[in-house]
Amino acid sequence: MNTNLKVTNISKIYPGCIANDNVSLEFESGKIYALLGENGAGKSTLVKILSGVIQPDNGQIFLNNKVLKLNSPIDAKKNKIGMVFQHFNLFETLSVFENLIIDSNESRINLRENINIVMQKYNFVIDLDIPVLNLSAGQKQKVEILKCLIRKLEVLIMDEPTSVLTEQETNELFSSLKKFSEEGILIIYITHKLKEVMSLCDEVAVMRKGKLVSTGKIADEKIETLAIKMVGQSLKTIKKEILKENTKEQLVKIVDLNFKSDDPFETNLSNINFELNRGECLGIAGISGNGQSELFQILSGEITSENNSILFNNKQIGKLNPQERRQYLLAFSPEDRMSQAAIPQLTIFENVALNNFKDSNFFKGGLINEKKIKEHSSKILSKFSVNTNNVELKSQFLSGGNLQKLIIGRELITSPELLICFNPTWGLDVGAINYIHETLIKINEQKKSIILISTDTDELLKLSDKICVIYKGKLSKIMDANDVTSEKLGLLMGGGEID
Amino acid sequence: MGEKLIKIVKRDEVSKSIFFLTPILAIILTLIGGGLIFYFLGFNPLEALKFFFIIPISDVYGFSELLLKATPLCLIAIGLSFCFKSNNWNIGAEGQLTFGGIVGGGVALLFYNQEGFYILPIVILAGAIGGMLYAMIPAILKTYFNTNEILVSLMLVYVSKLLLDYLVVGPWSNPEGFNFPETRQFSDSARMPILFEGLRIHAGIFIALASVLISWFIFYKTYLGFQMKVSGFSLKTARYAGYKGKTMIILVFMISGACAGLAGVGEITGPIGQLHRMISPDYGFTAIIVAFLGRLNPIGIIFASLVVALTYLGAETAQIFLQIPKYTGQVFQGMILFFLLASDYLLFFKIKFLGIKKNEL
Repeated sequence: MNTNLKVTNISKIYPGCIANDNVSLEFESGKIYALLGENGAGKSTLVKILSGVIQPDNGQIFLNNKVLKLNSPIDAKKNKIGMVFQHFNLFETLSVFENLIIDSNESRINLRENINIVMQKYNFVIDLDIPVLNLSAGQKQKVEILKCLIRKLEVLIMDEPTSVLTEQETNELFSSLKKFSEEGILIIYITHKLKEVMSLCDEVAVMRKGKLVSTGKIADEKIETLAIKMVGQSLKTIKKEILKENTKEQLVKIVDLNFKSDDPFETNLSNINFELNRGECLGIAGISGNGQSELFQILSGEITSENNSILFNNKQIGKLNPQERRQYLLAFSPEDRMSQAAIPQLTIFENVALNNFKDSNFFKGGLINEKKIKEHSSKILSKFSVNTNNVELKSQFLSGGNLQKLIIGRELITSPELLICFNPTWGLDVGAINYIHETLIKINEQKKSIILISTDTDELLKLSDKICVIYKGKLSKIMDANDVTSEKLGLLMGGGEID
Repeated sequence: MGEKLIKIVKRDEVSKSIFFLTPILAIILTLIGGGLIFYFLGFNPLEALKFFFIIPISDVYGFSELLLKATPLCLIAIGLSFCFKSNNWNIGAEGQLTFGGIVGGGVALLFYNQEGFYILPIVILAGAIGGMLYAMIPAILKTYFNTNEILVSLMLVYVSKLLLDYLVVGPWSNPEGFNFPETRQFSDSARMPILFEGLRIHAGIFIALASVLISWFIFYKTYLGFQMKVSGFSLKTARYAGYKGKTMIILVFMISGACAGLAGVGEITGPIGQLHRMISPDYGFTAIIVAFLGRLNPIGIIFASLVVALTYLGAETAQIFLQIPKYTGQVFQGMILFFLLASDYLLFFKIKFLGIKKNEL
């Protein structure tokens, strides 16, 4: 079976932005194609066109040299083009089986047989009769892939599939994808992770600002050359220098911290102990859902704990709420930018006012001091190179990277002693990630401390002085960052033991 | 075959002018829809609309009646705007109005044979507190037991209406009232001062206007208002910022209930002067339409309350002159809300006319 998919001169124009500018590409079965680009490079638009979700303003799609008109995702499905989105389209309360057969009109018995055959063939182990909400992210993704496979698809498009997966799950996914490819399925793999492209794909197409920048064989490329093509500038590599002369002045001490939740979907924390010195960055690694969010909330004061379980500068602060902790010069950057750290419907300056720090005078006498807040906001926008100077802009019009710069800026402009951040670069493009990383390193150099909870091991290895792993609500022992490798972390994150 | 002539495109940003124009569009569409209904009922549509919307306010008395009806609508809608802006769906204002009326009326009845300048303020305060306490029931159930405030506040409307029914028929009924379902008349000291001789418009309108000003100030100028706004958008953000999100929810319900209670006490101490079964022609429900028609904006709510009050008056005039049931007024209120929600589509999408594109055959 030979499949040939071709797009010619595809353009898609949105008001104020050209998402795809005259893109022409050709794909052949038997190979895995990477579509590489930063956020907003136009790769999602292109694959949405290929899967019928949106229609191009110009250009044509050819499948096996026949013109293909895709007016809806159903047309794509009919033509055996399958798509697995970054955010799953599954019904959480239905069983796996029900999710798989929901749009099929074959008999249930046939389908179950079919599904079992496919699962055996590719070594997928999933209980078909449990509700999808009980599955891990990796298993949910397998269900999405199964949905495509049982339709005997010929083209499989994967959009940023590894952002929710563990190392092990990623490896499994890669070997499955290679197997599919060998069997003649044409695979288009969208990502901004360079390492994945190198280890998985055969061919790579790089997009930038809506345009196709380069196409070529992976064999001819190196990580550095791809990165330059993707970002369009030479990428500064930053690596933190671990401070040699350590004054060992203790700033934070967590003693026997426990948390028991009534909510079955939350993770209990047991017996958390660690210490942090001034100027240090403690990285907490782990696969999401192992208690990171609970730990963050306890450290920020959204959940209060025993007063003596958290010591900051030798003061007990376990019972204080976030606002009171800010008075002690703590700052927080939560994981969820859009529904926790900021409110998209509010303006930039209103979002800045959320950090009503000591001496801010934002709300003197209970009244809003708009002038003061706006001045302060302008300062943040310029100091943290946010891509606008209009403090009255609604935050929803900022890109993810700029919003994160605003949030980090809001938290850091007060020169806090300790910044606690949770996945600070999640979903950002390389430029923004670098900016955030540089900023975090800078504040360490100013003898300020950081607790970095992150699911990105590269980030942790790059920024931390000390690293530990959280697994099922328990912290591993704390290791020196120099002695840690991603393999060791991966093992601990998966619940294994080292030494 | 031609291509599509009309294309619907998502807007990048909600435009300010459209935001305030759609309510006007809704009103125009309501007039057209109403005209059509009159036409099918066999009336001259223009004539009927004139009876509905122009005749009622063509003299001073009519205009004063308009203000009289707009007063409770405006007050309740202002209160509701606090709830709605912070995503709390209090639809039980009618119940809070009734309960405010019961408490205020009860206090007024205590003083039925006394005079004194202090009586009216006490009665008004009692009414506000009554409405406030009544609104706290759904708020507390929502924050501490995760109940749905829409259901609870709605159900409580019927509880308070039945309670009023019981009181005016039973323990509070006028001993000299030949068993009519009504209480004694309040003493003059418990009545809102009338503003103009011969008209029914009373001092309650100042309470409404003051509440507009105060609410604008609280919501747009104070830290408290800011916290309410943030809590309404996201409790997670409120917790992160260190605000007491649950307290904020209870607070907006309290404000909303107090406003509804004030409206109730304004009615019974104003035009009615006693308690009976029908102290409100569903002002509490209609005010929901007013709040949305006014875009939850204090100034907008003033205009919207006048427009909606006109449907009450128009219905009465039409009943007299055209022999149409007065429930036509509710048809109009329904149409306004319907068209408003429909035209809100334009907030997020715009319609592009492309002209005819001919394809080669």
